[in-house]
Amino acid sequence: MLPFAAMSRPIPEFPVARTTGVRPGPIGLLGNAVRDVWTRRRLIRYLVRADLKKKGNDTLFGNVWWILDPLLQMSIYVVLVSIIFERSQPDYGLFIFAAILPWKWFSSAISDSISSVSGQDRLIKQVQFPKIVLPVAAILAGIAQFAFGMIPLAGMMLLLYADRISPTLLLIPVVAVVQLVFMLALGIFLAALNVFFRDVGNVSRHALRLWFYLSPALYGATVIDGVARSHPEIATLIKINPFYPILNAYRSVIYEGTTPEWQGLGVVLAISIAFLIVSVWFFKRVEPTFAKVL
Amino acid sequence: MFAGEAAVEVRGLGVRYSLRLTRKNTIRNSLAQFVRRESSGGHFWALRDVSLSVGHGESLAVIGPNGAGKSTLLQVLAGIINPTEGEISIRGRLSSLLTLGAGFDQELSGRDNILLAGAFLGIEDVEIQERLDDIIAFADIGQFIDAAIKTYSSGMRARLGFAIATSVNPDILLLDEVLATGDQVFRAKSKERVLELAKGAKAIVLVTHDMHWVTEFCNRAMLIEHGHVIAEGQPADIVQMHQDRSDAARRGVPPPPV
Repeated sequence: MLPFAAMSRPIPEFPVARTTGVRPGPIGLLGNAVRDVWTRRRLIRYLVRADLKKKGNDTLFGNVWWILDPLLQMSIYVVLVSIIFERSQPDYGLFIFAAILPWKWFSSAISDSISSVSGQDRLIKQVQFPKIVLPVAAILAGIAQFAFGMIPLAGMMLLLYADRISPTLLLIPVVAVVQLVFMLALGIFLAALNVFFRDVGNVSRHALRLWFYLSPALYGATVIDGVARSHPEIATLIKINPFYPILNAYRSVIYEGTTPEWQGLGVVLAISIAFLIVSVWFFKRVEPTFAKVL
Repeated sequence: MFAGEAAVEVRGLGVRYSLRLTRKNTIRNSLAQFVRRESSGGHFWALRDVSLSVGHGESLAVIGPNGAGKSTLLQVLAGIINPTEGEISIRGRLSSLLTLGAGFDQELSGRDNILLAGAFLGIEDVEIQERLDDIIAFADIGQFIDAAIKTYSSGMRARLGFAIATSVNPDILLLDEVLATGDQVFRAKSKERVLELAKGAKAIVLVTHDMHWVTEFCNRAMLIEHGHVIAEGQPADIVQMHQDRSDAARRGVPPPPV
């Protein structure tokens, strides 16, 4: 006897007629993308959960690494910069931790997102589902990593930098939302691009490292002023980088205890939203060819 | 536009692959192509002028040599690949079982994979939760259901994949060379399950090299070669024709006329 009882619930009918030559316009594609993500939110939730489970499972300390990683990285830079290069700032540990935390979130979520579509090639050839859920889930899963990073931040502030605790810390989520929109835009775009050009993965590793050094993570305004005198073009590059206002905003609310420069943050948000629209359109536009190309 | 009650109807279907967008493209290749002004590879028709219709309760076997376009046909029916030309109409809920366990995540447990696969297939959460026990029982995974899939044998994976894909009670089931998996017991069980689905007024499109299945359980068969439909009709006739043509190809003589 088979274990499958006849379905009591009526089967929803899906009369599907697919024909060639009917392709929705840009607005239609964007609408489809929003509907994809909304109707498949449970799939995104499962993918995020699976991602977190996997990252926690395969190491001895599991998700504790999300706490240790930024702390260890911070220690290395503190030793390198304040002892070897002797170019320090007051409370240098907190100064760079405020930038390392969001940067680690950015770089690991973008790397995950780049391979999110091409890594599921077998599935994409077997099952029909909206592919945009893959990069979206990869980016959202990174939020947990960032949230875990709040634990060592809280610990450090309570134990070492109690005098720097201020109500502006409550603005961290506001800055994080701006960063998230930018990450979604970049992640979705690169995920689609990597299907066609696998070089994206290789290039991104080096690009991310260079990007980190061109962002005010290890240094602040005084260093940039110095660079501006010797190499003005590099200083310009640092300043048009979206992570210039983002990392400065984190540093304002965590390290300096002041409100961020809203104007720069607003510009990044506006550009990120425009970028997000373009990259979602691009993704949906090339999505039908994924199963053929992969 | 589509008269009648056919569950699957296909008219003048063509699928074209652009050879430019092949696997593992790199920027270097694209640049080289651009510099040499190559006319980007050209095209390849994996399927051309394919028309078919499968009514409720029918099961159609698609046979043909390797690379004939059989799997591409299933991919188009499943909506994974868009047709380049022609029309497709699907009436009813469709489940594809193309390669077993394709989407399994090696690191996750069998149970998590069932939930994930259900979400990928777009099955309602309540439904998959309801069916969880049935799926585990049918796949005969037992206590290993909470162990990571990477520890499973290939047979266990195949059984789990089969159990998930057939658990949704689809109106239309697409099967790609999946019946030959597993041991004798599971093969008998899956055969029974497919027959059950076929009886319940479900349409089945099946790709297989197992000619016993075709003659025994399918009520129609279609022979595809090089993306074109060669013949369609009674399973026994089509299987005979396929064997004659394969023999001719082996001996290097022109195939017998249709």
